[in-house]
Amino acid sequence: MNSKLDRPQQNASAASLRGVTKSYKHFRLDKIDLEIEPGTVNGLIGPNGAGKSTIMRIMMGLVTPKSGTVSVLGKSISSREASAKQDIGFFSDDMRLYKSESIAFHMQFVRSLFPSWDEGYAQQLLDRFGLIAQQKVKGFSHGQRVKALLLLILARRPKLLILDEPTNGLDPVAKQEVLAELMQIVNDETRTILYSSHNTQDVEQISDTITFIDRGRVIASNNRDEFLDRWRRFKLQAPQNWQAPAIDGLRPESTFGNLRVMTLDRYETGVEDQLQSSGATLESSEAMTLEEIFIAAVSRGREEKQQ
Amino acid sequence: MNTQAIQILFLKDLFLSRWPMFGYLVGGLLSVMVTCLPGESAGFIGFILMITVTIAAGIHLIGALLLGESIDMTRTFIMSLPISLLDYSLAKISVVLVAFLIPWFGMLASLTIITFVAPEAKPGILPFLVLLFLFMLGGFCLQLFTAVVTESVGWTIVVLVLGNVTLNFFLKMLYEHPVISKLNKSEVLSWPPVVLQIIAIEAIVILAALGLTFMFQIRRKDLV
Repeated sequence: MNSKLDRPQQNASAASLRGVTKSYKHFRLDKIDLEIEPGTVNGLIGPNGAGKSTIMRIMMGLVTPKSGTVSVLGKSISSREASAKQDIGFFSDDMRLYKSESIAFHMQFVRSLFPSWDEGYAQQLLDRFGLIAQQKVKGFSHGQRVKALLLLILARRPKLLILDEPTNGLDPVAKQEVLAELMQIVNDETRTILYSSHNTQDVEQISDTITFIDRGRVIASNNRDEFLDRWRRFKLQAPQNWQAPAIDGLRPESTFGNLRVMTLDRYETGVEDQLQSSGATLESSEAMTLEEIFIAAVSRGREEKQQ
Repeated sequence: MNTQAIQILFLKDLFLSRWPMFGYLVGGLLSVMVTCLPGESAGFIGFILMITVTIAAGIHLIGALLLGESIDMTRTFIMSLPISLLDYSLAKISVVLVAFLIPWFGMLASLTIITFVAPEAKPGILPFLVLLFLFMLGGFCLQLFTAVVTESVGWTIVVLVLGNVTLNFFLKMLYEHPVISKLNKSEVLSWPPVVLQIIAIEAIVILAALGLTFMFQIRRKDLV
């Protein structure tokens, strides 16, 4: 997934949002531009209430944007149009099944709506997830509910998977089972995944591209490896009157006496030399984890918005 | 419009509501049987039971099939399937109506048969029963409209209570109306103009409530 500014636009994108806005009483989604390339795994990372779920619901036609255009798998999306949903599998953390019925009931119901339903794969998933077809949903644990929903989604073999916080609240074993299944899907290059989470480790594990979102705005979007390559943290010993050199994207993170911690989001070789020649002593130049990058990007985004 | 999807949704909801629907049908038929028991009080008790069953069926089915989908968060699952708002609305409003009409019609039909078959029954009471049942159907349609527009259990109960209060005045009006009260004791079935006029008003209320319910539902912008 790329913001329009970061990458050239693809003609045959799996999903595209342009200038999408949506206003609620205490929240506003602000001109979201996203392009999701086919065959990729896209991570959408943001704090709670950032707008991840709203974006995904707009992509499913469950929420109508105030302005902007949305197309998914080449079809325009709205609450009045259902055909695009034939090839989309949507999971949401707050999605529930009918408590009084079994997984078998739900499998039969979903199968009747999807000619693409793969019964053999559904049975495999039942086994792999340790689910019992005749068990009533009422007695499910959170992990079983998530797995049952994923089974109902995956067995239709959708071209696009939109997964809103699928690993939220799962124990480590269940989380690994779910991620392993997603990894298997990732091997099929014709299928696209959009995956949201506030857990950067889960997203980092499976995503090709990552978008950070905060307070209804896309604050950064890039290829995962580029994210990791371009962000750096420097620790410098510098006198009180030291002036940081004019390097694009270099920002102070914290100061402890003469120790300055700076982050840079456009790292290139030679930056260390520039810092050294500015009168500071470079103590370390470290790669940052995705979580650290996310926190730094959110902080920068909020500062820019205030200015 | 996807008629196959509408049919699947309709049958799914009919299946989900099978036990309450069956329960209210049985309860309704039992209350009709009570009216046939000897003694004046049996008729009165049976009549009250019929009204109770109809009111309970209405609020229960609206709660389970319509408001429950929002409260239990099953609507997100349903709307993630290849179903448009139009498909969903047509299926949902139809199934709630049909699920209510099954016990409603079961009671009215059995009462109609009794008025013609039972030795002590007077067929002239049938217009009164039709007026009463149409009034309760109208009340149900207004509750349905309120549930769709507000998605609130509280407001739906407010309309239910208002409907029940109005039902008392409606019954009083029917009992005190010179033409209708005379009909109730008549051995001959007849449909005087005043009865037809009230039926027409009730039909307009029912159709208007259903039309507005559907209109509001398909104009909804956000489904979850």
